[in-house]
Amino acid sequence: MEDFKPIISDCIAGSRKAQSMLYQQFAPKMFGVCLRYAKDATEAEDNLQDGFIKVFTNLKNFRHDGSLEGWIRRIMINVSLEKIRKQHLLYPVEDVAIYDSVNYSDDVIAKIAADDLMKLIQQLPPRYRLVFNLYVIEGMSHQEIAEEMSITQGTSKSNLARARDILKKKVQENFGEELNAHNNYTA
Amino acid sequence: MKKDKNLDELFRSKLLNYEQEPPAYILDHVLNGVAGEHRKRKIVFWRMAGVAAALLLAFVAGWQLNVNDGKTLNQPLVANQPIVQEPAAETKIVAEQNESAKELGSEELSLAVVAESEKMGEKTSISLAGKIVKHNEPTLVAANEESTLLQPLKGLFRLLTSDTESGNSLQVRKYDPIAAESTVKSIDQQIMEQNQQLMLAQNETAKKSRWLVGAQVSPAYNVSRSSHTKAYASNMLNASSNPVDLGGGISVEYKKGKRWSLQSGVYYSGMGQSSGNTSNSNQNVANAPVSGSDHGKEYFNTNVNIDAWTSKMAINSTAGVIEFSSVPDGIVLGTNLEDKTMTSSAVVVSDARFIQNFEYIEIPLYVRYTLIDSKFDVEMMGGFSSNVLVGNQTFMESNTGKSLVGSTQDMETMNYSGTLGIGLKYGLSKRLYLNVEPRVKYYLNSLNGNSAVSYKPYTVGVFTGLSYEF
Repeated sequence: MEDFKPIISDCIAGSRKAQSMLYQQFAPKMFGVCLRYAKDATEAEDNLQDGFIKVFTNLKNFRHDGSLEGWIRRIMINVSLEKIRKQHLLYPVEDVAIYDSVNYSDDVIAKIAADDLMKLIQQLPPRYRLVFNLYVIEGMSHQEIAEEMSITQGTSKSNLARARDILKKKVQENFGEELNAHNNYTA
Repeated sequence: MKKDKNLDELFRSKLLNYEQEPPAYILDHVLNGVAGEHRKRKIVFWRMAGVAAALLLAFVAGWQLNVNDGKTLNQPLVANQPIVQEPAAETKIVAEQNESAKELGSEELSLAVVAESEKMGEKTSISLAGKIVKHNEPTLVAANEESTLLQPLKGLFRLLTSDTESGNSLQVRKYDPIAAESTVKSIDQQIMEQNQQLMLAQNETAKKSRWLVGAQVSPAYNVSRSSHTKAYASNMLNASSNPVDLGGGISVEYKKGKRWSLQSGVYYSGMGQSSGNTSNSNQNVANAPVSGSDHGKEYFNTNVNIDAWTSKMAINSTAGVIEFSSVPDGIVLGTNLEDKTMTSSAVVVSDARFIQNFEYIEIPLYVRYTLIDSKFDVEMMGGFSSNVLVGNQTFMESNTGKSLVGSTQDMETMNYSGTLGIGLKYGLSKRLYLNVEPRVKYYLNSLNGNSAVSYKPYTVGVFTGLSYEF
């Protein structure tokens, strides 16, 4: 594990150079995190900026008993979550649409580029997007998600199921035929 | 279920470590944002520190004053009043001294003091000190209540304390006639100093006041200063005289230091001009006999435009185009006459004069500097004002009387002016002042928005009024 102590000390002392270095080190990965939680790149950029400002102003509170990347990632997630909360997007959304189960192949998804998957996630309603990210990508349990988002576990599970259904449908809509055609062509 | 797991795993594997280079400008924003946060925190820190320091200072000052008060009360300080007012036997020294002072010279006085002192001995001195202490106490309590007088009194008491070194010094001096005399003299001097300091303190207290509110009125004489395009000026009324208008308002002044102050307020200012027949007259028209007119040679030769649809008259003046709401009574219009150049115009045949009145509400910001600070203050002032047009009327004055006929077109609703003046301030009492202030106000922009007209008059006025300091 890389030792960030010296650079952290310099950042706390206000060194712009050190702050730039730390930013350069983590910005691409954290931008990836922000993109997953945002509805588009612009919102992700805002969250990344606010997140890093928070990182640098609270760096003195970082205890060196965990990974710095994990700590920064947690800040990015919190900032994203807070942004959605402020926009009142978190609670009103209650998707009542019933999505029929969609037949899809895992192979289809495996062939979709990460960028395209990212776009699919960004198209999810905010709460579904959050639950999906927290459960699937971050590996949080429904209980943790329920506490984090102040919802019940049942709601969390339901939201996750809906998110999956939407994603499957979108995968099928956007990539199913294309990939099938590709498969047929190559066959 | 398993399918869901697969789906999750596929998303997770592709997106968990997903990286994308963010736009370069975000780094600058982040660094600037962090610097801004630091500045904010510093400001908050210094504000808190400032408040804490002020509180600490106030606490220490209050505590210190209380401590000093206690010390002062215990000291047998000497003052003239209790000695003179106490007719008891112990204070005969002073009583006799006062009487003797009127009749005898200082030598005799000292002898009397010595004689009495020898008779009464040491006891006299001690009891005298005791009496004085008793009579000083209420004075000090009063001083405590009068917070504004506290500081100079404290200074005086410190002075007295260092000089007299409590009542013991008095005991030593009673055996020395010269010392006794000098003590009495020094007491008088100290009382005089006390009075002086009290007076200074009162003056100082008065001078520490920070705000003045006042009301002024002023006759204002307006001097027209305008320029026009050649075409416009070729048919324009001549501003021949300027009526004296009345202005005034309420002012608020904040004193910043001993000499500088800022002043604002709300003023009303009227401005007008009277226009008559053009000076650069069209000779053809001026000399032309007007058919059917019984006005003789008293008629206008300034071209008048008449709107074909509304029949409204308009005439050029130095301040702008006067638009008539209707053709006024008492004037006669003639068209064309013998002047072929005036085909589109009419001629007003009347002996009338047009008075254009403009009313402004002025919100000034002046800086004042006190040149002479005495009973009769002399100040210089200057600054800028925003002037909002609230009245725009044109009257016609003829032998039939004065009537409202219209207004001036294109007058700007907001104007800016500069003001310079000299203020004379006489203190009627401690807080009430009489102000007389000649001012010159000049407009920085043209009062009329017509591109053919540049109308920037200046106003000379003597503002007179009262102001109250608090």
